[in-house]
Amino acid sequence: MRPLDRTSLVAGLVITLAGAILLLDRLDVIDVRFGYGLPLLIATVGAILLAAGLEGPRDRG
Amino acid sequence: MTVDDGAKMAGMSATASLRRDPARGVLAGVAAGLARRVGIDPLIVRVGFIAASFAGGFGLALYLLAWALMPGDDASRAPIERIAGKRETWLVVLGMMLLALAALLLLREWGLWFSDAIVWPVILTAAGGALIWRQSTATEEPPANRPAAAARGESRLPSVSLPRDAVGRAFVGAALVVGGGLVFLWLNGALGAARDVLLAVVVVVVALTLILAPWWLRLVRGLSAERTERIRSQERAEVAAHLHDSVLQTLALMQKRVDDPREVAALARRQERELRAWLNGRRLSGDATVALALEAAAAEVEEAHGVPVEVVAVGDAPLDERAQALVAAAREALVNAVKFAGPVALYAEVDDDHIEVFVRDRGPGFDPAAVPDDRRGVRESIVGRMERHGGRAILHTAPGAGTEIELVMKR
Repeated sequence: MRPLDRTSLVAGLVITLAGAILLLDRLDVIDVRFGYGLPLLIATVGAILLAAGLEGPRDRG
Repeated sequence: MTVDDGAKMAGMSATASLRRDPARGVLAGVAAGLARRVGIDPLIVRVGFIAASFAGGFGLALYLLAWALMPGDDASRAPIERIAGKRETWLVVLGMMLLALAALLLLREWGLWFSDAIVWPVILTAAGGALIWRQSTATEEPPANRPAAAARGESRLPSVSLPRDAVGRAFVGAALVVGGGLVFLWLNGALGAARDVLLAVVVVVVALTLILAPWWLRLVRGLSAERTERIRSQERAEVAAHLHDSVLQTLALMQKRVDDPREVAALARRQERELRAWLNGRRLSGDATVALALEAAAAEVEEAHGVPVEVVAVGDAPLDERAQALVAAAREALVNAVKFAGPVALYAEVDDDHIEVFVRDRGPGFDPAAVPDDRRGVRESIVGRMERHGGRAILHTAPGAGTEIELVMKR
């Protein structure tokens, strides 16, 4: 069975979350201004990098 | 494994990990590597990067970040790893920095903010300061092969110099601190005035450096020479103690058994193996813990001298460098006892704080003050060795009252 790729999992989750927030903004359910959108984007990238770093080295053999 | 199998495995490895693919790339192979990883056409990724670049340059920044973090396809390391050390550490640091930045921007948006002119310089300075303090606790990697290193005369004391990676990170930290200060001055409109002050400070520092440099250099050289001499002295004592315990003792045994050529040859072979293992930094097998090492030493002494040695060990601990010194001292105490007193008992007790070993015999005992200066057994191989490794050896003996040697080493 293929081992769990934590980086891909976290990346998928945070990008899905960010996409959902932007979709809600388009549907006028919430109002995402630039002041909120930029932190959202930065936090998404940060979470992915953090997950990749915590997962450790792979395929170095 | 055939060539095809190797190629397949290399292909599988390449697809399993995220690597740049310069062979199929236009610039650095970032888009091609990403596309291969997710199994799509590289053109789609390139279009995504270009489109994002028109959104405030975000795509360009993302491309540069990916280039810095992704290793090459030919097993070469990522650029940031080549510059700054372990890649995973920097991924974690970058990820945490971005999350912290996102939190700060949110706080700023909500109005929970002092002022841009204060917060950003403080953050830069604090990050740089933390990096410098973190590096100041880094220590040089100790020599992996301690005995071999000792044989070559290398240091076993902690070094005062920082590892190369730590120096690089400390420079980054210093740059952040200086940058934070400059940003603060710039945002507060004080950069012009600071320039005049800075110029005066630089002139004074250069003048003081020129005046004090010779004294400083002499001081550093003097300290270095003193430290080198101290290390050499310790290493000489350690090598002398080992040679006494092994080679000299074996030579003495060989003289006693000169009538038995096979026994003499066996002793010589065993000594050769032990000496080679010591020079190569290897321990003999079966001595991974204190109790096992004591039992092995007792068996070795019993076999070599033909005198029974009784061993009782309560508790156990890993055989680190200090424990090895204690075992060597206990072995020497056993050798002395079987040579001069007959049957001997070894009792060891290991708890969370200490390792204590008692070597007892019921022999004639002796007067320690009457031992000639050129006899190194008790003074150097037992007492000196224990003290050099932070332990102590206590001798309880008197003529006609037997001997007990107590060895205590902190864990």
